[in-house]
Amino acid sequence: MINSSIYTGLLAELNPLEHVLQKPLFSISIGSWQVSVSNHMFMVTLATIFLLIAIPLAVKQNNSLVPRGLKNLLETICVFFREEVVRPVLKNHTDKYVGFIWTVFFFILTLNLLGMIPIEKFITLATGKTSHYGGAATANIWVTGAMAVVVFFMFHFVGIKEQGLRNYIVNFAPPVPWPLIPLIYFLELVSSFIRPFTLAIRLFANIIAGHMIIATFIGLILVFRSYGLALVSLGFTLFLSLLDVLVAFIQAFVFALLCTLYFGFAVEAEH
Amino acid sequence: MLEQTGNILAAVADAGTAIFGASIGCGIIIIGASIGIGLIGASASNAMARQPEAGGNIFRSMIVSAALVEGVTFFSLVICLLTVLWLKG
Repeated sequence: MINSSIYTGLLAELNPLEHVLQKPLFSISIGSWQVSVSNHMFMVTLATIFLLIAIPLAVKQNNSLVPRGLKNLLETICVFFREEVVRPVLKNHTDKYVGFIWTVFFFILTLNLLGMIPIEKFITLATGKTSHYGGAATANIWVTGAMAVVVFFMFHFVGIKEQGLRNYIVNFAPPVPWPLIPLIYFLELVSSFIRPFTLAIRLFANIIAGHMIIATFIGLILVFRSYGLALVSLGFTLFLSLLDVLVAFIQAFVFALLCTLYFGFAVEAEH
Repeated sequence: MLEQTGNILAAVADAGTAIFGASIGCGIIIIGASIGIGLIGASASNAMARQPEAGGNIFRSMIVSAALVEGVTFFSLVICLLTVLWLKG
């Protein structure tokens, strides 16, 4: 049984889980606490800085009527979200909450796509020492869970802000004959707690499954150690990586779409 | 006879049985997911054939429904994976 940790600078690993777990990078001390910064935290910070720099740069062109280039792409995506996804659901409240939906979509898309770029593998190849500066942050249940918790608080906040606290609590269940109200109310309450769980786990499991299966195919090269198998394995890895890029886009879209639907449920009883 | 059954069950209840159960579970989950997504694709194709103008909308709904079904699949797959991973303890 070979132990892949005796090789430094090896890109493949026998255990496909090693590829997707968090790795500690360094640890900083804040006051009396030791905070260990992991590669997923680094990727989240990288994505935030990238979006904060790239998007204002992309839209800051001379204001001609016809946008070009990256600004055109961003405008197409944003207008698609606003007109086809958010406006049918939120009708009059679209302009208030579409910014949040855009943010969620672009943030998750950036995290997913940055996870597809093997930054740490490039650094490992360049320096020869195993580096962990990179990884798929959305393959971490805590990152997706944090986003789901934010969405949970956000949609309750949206409902309370639109309808007022008392109306929101009273209208939480749809109007049904009065004997069923306790059951339906309990069901609605439970479902509103299940929603962040489903959001988090759907995104987490899709991304981690894609990465683990790619890691498994590359780890097969380590098990068999033959060039022919390496060729076949790399072909499969290419196909699976393209599938993973598709999944990255779809999962970001589905997350944003479900956020919109939950906001719609929260404001609908007003009419 | 009940005591004998209990003895047999206690004898086979080890990590291997749990892994066996988890693997069979994964297979059953995949059957459900494939049937679900296949039905989504089939009805989407039928609808697009009947009304090609609505092709964009239908395609979008198909993708969203497939993503939701896959989400449910992945919950169960994660539980199977946890069954296997938590056997060290």
